[in-house]
Amino acid sequence: MSARNPGMPLDLAWVSKVRVNTQAVLKRAQQIQGRNKNKKQWQAAWLLRAVTCIDLTTLAGDDTPGNVHRLCMKATQPVRYDLLKSMDMQDKGVTTAAVCVYPSRVADAVKSLKAANSSLPVASVATGFPAGQTSLKTRLEEVRMAVEDGAMEIDIVINRTLALTGQWEGSDFIKTSTGKESVNATYPVAIVMVRAIRDYFLKTGHKVGFKPAGGIRTAKESLVWLTLMKEELGDEWLSPRLFRLGASSLLADIERQIYHHVTGRYAAYHQMPMA
Amino acid sequence: MAGITSKTIHDIFQSMEYGPSSSSTATAQAWLESHSRALGLFIDGKFVRSADRQTCNVTDSSGGPVCSTVCAVDEDASLSVSSGASGFKAWSALPCHLRAKTLLRLVSSLQRHGQCLSELCDLAQSPSSPSALVRLLQYYSGWAQLRDSLIPDWTPRGVVVVVVSDDCSLYSLMLKVLPALAMGNAVVAIPGVGTAPPVLLLAQLFVEAGLPAGVLNVVTGSVLSLGSKVAQNPHVSYVTYSGNKKDGEILCRATAGMGVPVSLSLSLGATCPFIIFESADIDSAVDGVIETAFKKNRECQWMLCVQESVWDSVVARLKVRMAGMKSVPLLAEGDRRLVDAAVQEAQQQGATLIQPCPPSSSGAAYPPTVLCGVAPSCTCVVTPSPGPLLPLLSFRSHGEGVTLGNHSPHGQAASIWTEDLTLALEAAKSLSVGAVWVNSHSVMDPSLPISGHKESGNCIDGGKEGLFQFLRPSSSPPLPRSSPASVDYSKFGTAASAAIIPEGSNSSSTPRSYLQYVGGKQCKSESGSSVCVLAPGGGTVLAHCPDGGRKDVRNAVEAAIKVQPGWMKKSPVARAQSLFSLAETLELKRRDMAVSLHSQTGLSLEKADMEVELSIAQLCDWAARCDKEKGGVPVRIYVFLAVCVQHLLTHPQRSGVVGVVLPDSSPLLSMVSLLAAAVAMGNAVIMVPSPKYPLPALEFIQVLQSSDLPGGVVSIITGGRDQLTQALANHSVIKAIWYWGSMEGCQFLQHTCASPLKSLWLHCQEKDGGRDWAQPHASLQEEMWRQAVQWKSVWIPTA
Repeated sequence: MSARNPGMPLDLAWVSKVRVNTQAVLKRAQQIQGRNKNKKQWQAAWLLRAVTCIDLTTLAGDDTPGNVHRLCMKATQPVRYDLLKSMDMQDKGVTTAAVCVYPSRVADAVKSLKAANSSLPVASVATGFPAGQTSLKTRLEEVRMAVEDGAMEIDIVINRTLALTGQWEGSDFIKTSTGKESVNATYPVAIVMVRAIRDYFLKTGHKVGFKPAGGIRTAKESLVWLTLMKEELGDEWLSPRLFRLGASSLLADIERQIYHHVTGRYAAYHQMPMA
Repeated sequence: MAGITSKTIHDIFQSMEYGPSSSSTATAQAWLESHSRALGLFIDGKFVRSADRQTCNVTDSSGGPVCSTVCAVDEDASLSVSSGASGFKAWSALPCHLRAKTLLRLVSSLQRHGQCLSELCDLAQSPSSPSALVRLLQYYSGWAQLRDSLIPDWTPRGVVVVVVSDDCSLYSLMLKVLPALAMGNAVVAIPGVGTAPPVLLLAQLFVEAGLPAGVLNVVTGSVLSLGSKVAQNPHVSYVTYSGNKKDGEILCRATAGMGVPVSLSLSLGATCPFIIFESADIDSAVDGVIETAFKKNRECQWMLCVQESVWDSVVARLKVRMAGMKSVPLLAEGDRRLVDAAVQEAQQQGATLIQPCPPSSSGAAYPPTVLCGVAPSCTCVVTPSPGPLLPLLSFRSHGEGVTLGNHSPHGQAASIWTEDLTLALEAAKSLSVGAVWVNSHSVMDPSLPISGHKESGNCIDGGKEGLFQFLRPSSSPPLPRSSPASVDYSKFGTAASAAIIPEGSNSSSTPRSYLQYVGGKQCKSESGSSVCVLAPGGGTVLAHCPDGGRKDVRNAVEAAIKVQPGWMKKSPVARAQSLFSLAETLELKRRDMAVSLHSQTGLSLEKADMEVELSIAQLCDWAARCDKEKGGVPVRIYVFLAVCVQHLLTHPQRSGVVGVVLPDSSPLLSMVSLLAAAVAMGNAVIMVPSPKYPLPALEFIQVLQSSDLPGGVVSIITGGRDQLTQALANHSVIKAIWYWGSMEGCQFLQHTCASPLKSLWLHCQEKDGGRDWAQPHASLQEEMWRQAVQWKSVWIPTA
């Protein structure tokens, strides 16, 4: 986590002056998707960096202490040890950035990680996730409870009624969506969002982080996201301090690509330890 | 390389740098090997390589050898054209659909070998995208199919020579070659050093795919001397050039007097404004700057113009986006000195720099650099230096932004950024450039006609408009071929008019003294002297007319530039009304005009009256066109709004001031036809009547005076044809000259109008019988219309 964003008085004049040219942004998105042609060790290194930015997530109605425990263990050892060792990366602290669960599973996750002697933070979605349509009172209470249970990071669903009527809230990180929408993290939307981050940085000097979430499933996509951050905001936004990938199945694909890099063969999913 | 490959995963994991771009060149290398790395000329469907020719080495970006090409000699040049002539016979005889079918076969061949082509382009340092070429080929195979149905009554020119300078891209070369082929011409291509290997590959692929031998020949060597060597062959009908200004001018001068029309696209090195208004999406605009301004091979030199209110915002984003950019290799060793000097001078004039890193103390690379706050008069703006330098200028109001963008001898293209629709369209209209990209830049689409304005060329490439340089109206003969005479260009048109003092003058009638017409007023010539006009058959002096010269032309131009912008801005309807009123006045004076024609040319009164009638018809014809398609109305907007993803508005725009040196034949009708065409499209004209038959034109002044055409839109100056031609050629404001006269005059104009560049429409009266003005064929009218307009494309990306 970066230094907290102290926020600033809401300046709607600033917001209303923002212009976005859809076609130019779409073109930029195309260009970014074609930009990263990394091969060999560059690709492997970038994939490992992507791993360290993942908020490894389970947000299912049937989550239990059992599958949350598995998730936490995977988060602490996201890539097979032998694979890391052959790249000489086994002792470089390659873990995911955090695990992300529902508030009621925070305690389970904290317990599992503590037992494994890991300092990985637990993130919790809160505030009536994913719709955010609950009263402020219960939303605040949910945050308090998650924090009491040991959550270090809270993913808040903003009250979109307020957002759509121009009454914005501030934050340390902004996220493309809950991941539960029909359309989630798209590159053009992300470009507009990270440019808002840049705008805010230029105006106040504070760095806000960015978290795309939902539908990010392939190693290739994770590389495009890193490229997007590098191109638009610079290398500083390539670390978990300022960049997270909200994903559940992405890690398995990245691990397979790394397997391919190390062995020259394509792996089956069952060759990778399950989360 | 060792330094790069030894980077460990952990190093990269820490630094998060991009890897080296993998560039396999195996396919291209295999093709080069199959030619033993020594590429011959491609003539008559096969590679030709004579052992005794000199060769030229093509090198890759690290200076390593790629292959060698032959330096063609005279013999090769004439061989390529005679092969082209027989290729033309076979190719032009095919029906349209067979030509289209052949071109479509080339498309699939190109797709199959795209990898090889792309690698070869990279190797030869002439990067190009095969997919763009495929699209271009598809587009023009469509036109090959449609030629006879959509462009009837036009015919291919014959053997066309396409010349490009060494720095010209493969795309620009093919943008000329492919439409020429599609219209049924044979092409002799003369590529630059870097484009030679890929063009030779293309020629081979095309012939293998079924293009008849001789239809596309490629000769390599020194572009400059080879261009005129090939052009002097009498089988060549047209020469078209793309590239830098300097080489273009040399080619133009070298081919003057050969009787072959030459067009230039001088896109390379043109200064193009990149204008960011305060209403722009600043991030996207800056993104555009980063993408285009610092490239190693750039087609144009951008000049960034930013509205003062968003200056800080743009500068801050440039700093963020430029951080981490790497130094750009310079194209030539000596460039570093020029770059250093330009930066130093800009700094002395108060410019501040934005650079990702300080430049290394020496070496042929330089970091991308923005020169913030330079003045328009700074050398780095006036004559841009090579290297990744971008001047950044500020402007206060929308109007000033456009003025800043227009204040340049170039008129290639502009990129403008605003979310304000009205501002975008108004700025696009006011910028005197051939292409305006709104909220985008550097878009090259086959459907987009690109035509440089001002000194950026006199040729239209791309789109439907780009086809016409390779066609001529079926009913009009090509310019007769000749050999350049030895003309002393500095003396042309400087001899004083021969004073004819008639012997034994007939005292029964005193010859009338006519006045010429400048800026809406009748006047004598500045010199005060006049020349005699003889009656048909010679002998008697019919009248005296003013002996005009340079100063009269100057006065006429001064008057024209005062009124032409207003005339151009008038609605097409208002222009139509003025022409209708001119027709009505002519109707009232038809008797006087007929008598004048009769006494001047000896034409029977009946036939003279017929000529007046036809002249009235011409005025009405052009008046009617004003507010119709092919008039002043950009009709294509509607078509593209409906079907096209990108909005392409193609406007025929007005040229400006046109000088017309009139033919001897049908003196009234020819003058009225040309005047009507030029004026209807919003131009001002300065007309030089035939020295043999000037009286109908002088009589017509009465008609002009009683019409409501603003004074200055039409001027009529009499005098020696050569003197006045010389005066028109040497005035930079005049953008086009339509000439009927001597071969020598044509040669003089081709030589002189290379710089400052003018559009020329040349006719040699001595050799061709001249057109039949009484039978205005549709294609001749269209040709005239195309001469009277200039094209502008406005590209607006929308969903």
